[in-house]
Amino acid sequence: MELRLENLTKIFTNRTGIETTAVKNLDITIESGTLVGLLGPSGCGKSTTLFMIAGLEKPTSGKIFFGDDDVTKLAPEKRGIGLVFQNYALYPHMTVFNNILFPLENLDVPKDEAIKRVKEMANLVGIGELLDRKPSQLSGGQQQRVAIARALVKKPRVLLLDEPLSNLDARLRLQMREEIKRIQRETGITTIFVTHDQEEAMSISDKMVVLDFGVKQQYASPQSMYTDPGNLFVGKFLGNPPINTFEAEVKKGYLMINDKKFMKIKVPDALYDIGMRPENFRAVAEGFDVDVKDIYHIGRDTMVHFDFNGQNVRALVDSDDISSEDKVVHLSIKESRIYLFDKETGKVVNHG
Amino acid sequence: MANLKNSVIAFFGKILNAIKTFFWNVRRLFTNIKNRFGDFLDKHNINFVTRFPNWAKALLYLSPALIVLMVFTFYPIINSFALVVYQNYNMTTETVTGYTIFGNFITVLTDESFIVPASHTASSAVINTLIIVFISVPISVLLALFIAAALNTIKPLKSFFQTIYFLPYVTNTIAIGLVFAYMFRTDGGLVNQFLGLFGVNVEGLSWVESGAVYWRSMFVLIFYSIWSTLAFKIMVFLTSIQGIDKQYYQAAAIDATPRGRIFSKITVPLISPMIFYILVTSVIGAFKIYNSIVALFGVSGAPAGVDYNLQSIVMYIYQFIDGSNAGNLSVAAAGSLILFAIILVLTLVQMQASKRRVHY
Amino acid sequence: MNKQLFEKSNKLERWTLFVDFIAIVIYISLFLILFKLLELPEVVNGSMDLDILQYMEPIYQFLGSTLDKWQMNTIISLSVVFTIVAVPMFFINLKKVKIRTIYEVDSYVAGSKFFQGIINLLSFNPISAGLRIYNMFILVKFVKGYDAKEFLKSIVPAVKAYFKRLFTKKVKENTEGLDEYSLSIKTSIRRQNAANALRLLFTYIFLVFMALIIIIPFYWMIITSLKDFSGATTATPKFFISISRMNWVNYKVVLTELNFGLYIRNTVIVALFSTAGTILTTVLAAYAFARIEFKGREILFSILIMTMMIPGELYIITNFITVSKNGFGWVGMPTGENNYFLAMILPFVTSISYIFFLRQSFKQVPESLYKAARVDGCSDLKFLMRVMVPIASPTIFTITILNVFGSWNAYIWPRIITGVGGQEGQAYWLISNALRDTAFVLDNGRVMYNLQIAASTLVTVPLLVVFFMFRKYIMNGIGRSGTKG
Ligand SMILES: Nc1ncnc2c1ncn2[C@@H]1O[C@H](COP(=O)(O)OP(=O)(O)O)[C@@H](O)[C@H]1O
Ligand SMILES: [Mg+2]
Repeated sequence: MELRLENLTKIFTNRTGIETTAVKNLDITIESGTLVGLLGPSGCGKSTTLFMIAGLEKPTSGKIFFGDDDVTKLAPEKRGIGLVFQNYALYPHMTVFNNILFPLENLDVPKDEAIKRVKEMANLVGIGELLDRKPSQLSGGQQQRVAIARALVKKPRVLLLDEPLSNLDARLRLQMREEIKRIQRETGITTIFVTHDQEEAMSISDKMVVLDFGVKQQYASPQSMYTDPGNLFVGKFLGNPPINTFEAEVKKGYLMINDKKFMKIKVPDALYDIGMRPENFRAVAEGFDVDVKDIYHIGRDTMVHFDFNGQNVRALVDSDDISSEDKVVHLSIKESRIYLFDKETGKVVNHG
Repeated sequence: MANLKNSVIAFFGKILNAIKTFFWNVRRLFTNIKNRFGDFLDKHNINFVTRFPNWAKALLYLSPALIVLMVFTFYPIINSFALVVYQNYNMTTETVTGYTIFGNFITVLTDESFIVPASHTASSAVINTLIIVFISVPISVLLALFIAAALNTIKPLKSFFQTIYFLPYVTNTIAIGLVFAYMFRTDGGLVNQFLGLFGVNVEGLSWVESGAVYWRSMFVLIFYSIWSTLAFKIMVFLTSIQGIDKQYYQAAAIDATPRGRIFSKITVPLISPMIFYILVTSVIGAFKIYNSIVALFGVSGAPAGVDYNLQSIVMYIYQFIDGSNAGNLSVAAAGSLILFAIILVLTLVQMQASKRRVHY
Repeated sequence: MNKQLFEKSNKLERWTLFVDFIAIVIYISLFLILFKLLELPEVVNGSMDLDILQYMEPIYQFLGSTLDKWQMNTIISLSVVFTIVAVPMFFINLKKVKIRTIYEVDSYVAGSKFFQGIINLLSFNPISAGLRIYNMFILVKFVKGYDAKEFLKSIVPAVKAYFKRLFTKKVKENTEGLDEYSLSIKTSIRRQNAANALRLLFTYIFLVFMALIIIIPFYWMIITSLKDFSGATTATPKFFISISRMNWVNYKVVLTELNFGLYIRNTVIVALFSTAGTILTTVLAAYAFARIEFKGREILFSILIMTMMIPGELYIITNFITVSKNGFGWVGMPTGENNYFLAMILPFVTSISYIFFLRQSFKQVPESLYKAARVDGCSDLKFLMRVMVPIASPTIFTITILNVFGSWNAYIWPRIITGVGGQEGQAYWLISNALRDTAFVLDNGRVMYNLQIAASTLVTVPLLVVFFMFRKYIMNGIGRSGTKG
């Protein structure tokens, strides 16, 4: 089922009358059956967006559509959503079985079918053995699976996950990531996955939304967002090690770096923010020379630190192409991998 | 045999299942009706969430408690301000002979048995109460602190001792008070028998019976009041001492801090909020002492045939509600307002002090 | 871990509990039957000569055999002691068997089975004892993997080794060849150990001394309650009492002749209803204060907190007017038109401090649970009943206990209420009033201390039994609450 947000805005007013805009004019259409990652730094309004979709928060303005239905004013339980929280929010006094059964108690489901569905869901998420335990007797990963089963048992139209993996340790997080992806594929439920971890979002999502201060920055598939960031914020937020950014001027059709003509470029003369990803540099025989400041070998790759326009810039190149003694390195970078961002708006400027 | 057992179990299982299914179906029916009703409301665009605001919901939840509190707590507070201005209020006929602003307060404050000790009595309600408060509270708090600290240092038998110290909390004040009175009997009392072992002349040594002197009776009263309030304090102190982060003690041990200093410089300051809380509550509690006196000395508040009285402020108030002076409720109201004022001042003073002194 | 063994042990424990339950029923009914048989002095001219109690040497017929006073006392005493030991043990075990999971079973559990078995044996319950000890072997197998035989075999060497370690003197250490520094360290360690031991000794002496002060009144109470009149009033009362001298009939006199049965019933009624009312009103109010956001919540709450400072005496004056003739008319009316129970219960069906206390523990339930329940279509009331109340159940339990104890202790309000009713009011006394206001005097004006103390014991023992049943809960709850009534 398609999910559409139109002009969604949420303004919190606290007791002293100070207003916080948590979400601002959000327009997104999420196609049926996709898993969309909602990505952004902490406090940017991800949870608020999710809770508005769930119906737990009322939008200040804007509309929410599930398919063709306007659900903006509908109560949460009537929307047919499943919600998973960061801290799992399992009922501590109920067994796993009762936790998963709980949502069905409020629905018009015959008992035998309810039990069948609980067992089915438990098997789907891989906790079929643990049904008679209490949450406190489960590991973090198992609790997470129970929470997912509880969200799914109602056969929701939309599954919402609010930072579901951030309480897990690194290894388990990788495993659960794949698990969630698998469950989503098997059930085909439209899913929104909130996270502040860009790597997590990139690896799990069919498409991603990046938010900053409640404003949508870009909505695209992970790979295209990575290769073609829509603005400086998205460019900076994605990628590890982070993108190199520095100021540079375009004079008479030439991009100037270290007061030297670096390359020809078809944009108006002005001051720009330049972005180059470390891994897009190549060490080649023919290229521009840079004075090496530091070299670190990290297994297969080597990190080269050098100076560009007074900025410390990093390049990640193949270890075979470089040796520790090199004082000068020849590097090259594809023209299309050099990003120019408008100084004022931060928007990407197309060139070449 | 096993077959029979199985079939019996299966039989009861079936019945149980049938009952469960029945309940489930009833619930299903109700949810169905509820959902249909909800759909109906949705269809006609009636939204209960907006129609039924939070304050109305809150009122619904609060109303049982609030109604009871209105009648039996808030109204009495207001009404006692009305009562104190009546002169000679008669509750059966509901008549008064006049109105006065301070008259009832003056009656209380100039009463020989309230604050001014007359020549023939060695004490008054206020003096008695103050003595009890200022002796029993410090002793019981210190004692509870020491016991809690001692309990915290031992391991074997800890929960055994804890249980024993807790016992006075789960008793009836009157019942154990009677036992205390029995133990302090002049002839054949356990205490006198015990003192006799040490060569004390216990002939006619009275504590709670005729022939007792003021301080001996007071000693028994204070002893009993400490005995019966110790348990609660020990429990609270022990819980808060156990809540102290072990790292403080480890750091102190590395610095070779002596035990006494650890107690006074770490344990006490860290639980000082609790100590102050206990101080406030036990001072208030001691000011309201009543049951223990009644248990030891009867409703008259004095051993038979002595010329002094161990009446407390509360006891003084109650004599106007039930007893020989019964009926003059205005004076009782004046007395209890005075008690309230005393408690309020003490609480405020202690809160002020705790703000400055409590270390966190 | 062997799940089968665990389940077997659990099943066995259930059967043991069943046997325990039957044993308790037997103890209690034995006690009741014999207690019924106890002979009271004859009633002459409408009153009983209590003085004669101590001289009676009745002979009883029981199950076709004759019992003298000594035999009778022995059986009654044993059945009482067994009941008092077995009931808390039964409840604690019942709870454990319900909540203990396979992960919590260790050798300590097995050991405790053994000790409980011994206690069973001492209380003439060989079936439970046998089952428990068999259960211990199962648990040993579960925990250590030993068979019964191997286990028994392993005991002897273990005990031997223990004593060997205990009795072999430490080899004198060779101090030669050590430099001065390490020698000084050695002496300081020795000194330190001695100081530690000494301090521990003093700590224990202090604790034992205080414990004696606490426990002696209880002991003296129980001893005295079983003495006869002269035994309780002699100038040199005994510190021990032989079984043949016990006077269980004291309790019977107190219960029947002095009407304490009625007073206990009254108290139970008041405690039950006021506690039920309190739980209902405080849970609802605490939920509103903890979860529902409405205008004026903080103000209303702080008003409630402030009223907590006002002494109860202030309310009592007006409440007395409210419940009497010119108000609701529950007391002070002509005989037959009074409703003492309403007057004693209604003012106490809510409590601000409990609302405060409950709100604290409701607030600790994470907000996300509420959100999750909302998404699942759970109404507020259902969320309260199905999620909040179970999670806050330790607190609710503490409140229940505190409230019941409060009713059991209530003195002044019931006294005022029943005091206006004369003879009619006396039938509604609660136990505290009865204890204080019953005249335990003989015709010659002497106080029947043994009866008075027996009544005190009768009032105290139920509280103690309840306490021992829920010891951990109550003590933790009180420690955390930091509030009394
Ligand atoms: N109930 C609320 N009242 C006031 N401000 C809120 C409330 N909930 C969230 N906010 C504010 O809205 C912003 C977005 O919050 P949130 O959606 O929780 O961020 P995220 O989940 O992305 O970390 C934050 O600045 C936060 O302080
Ligand atoms: Mg969030």
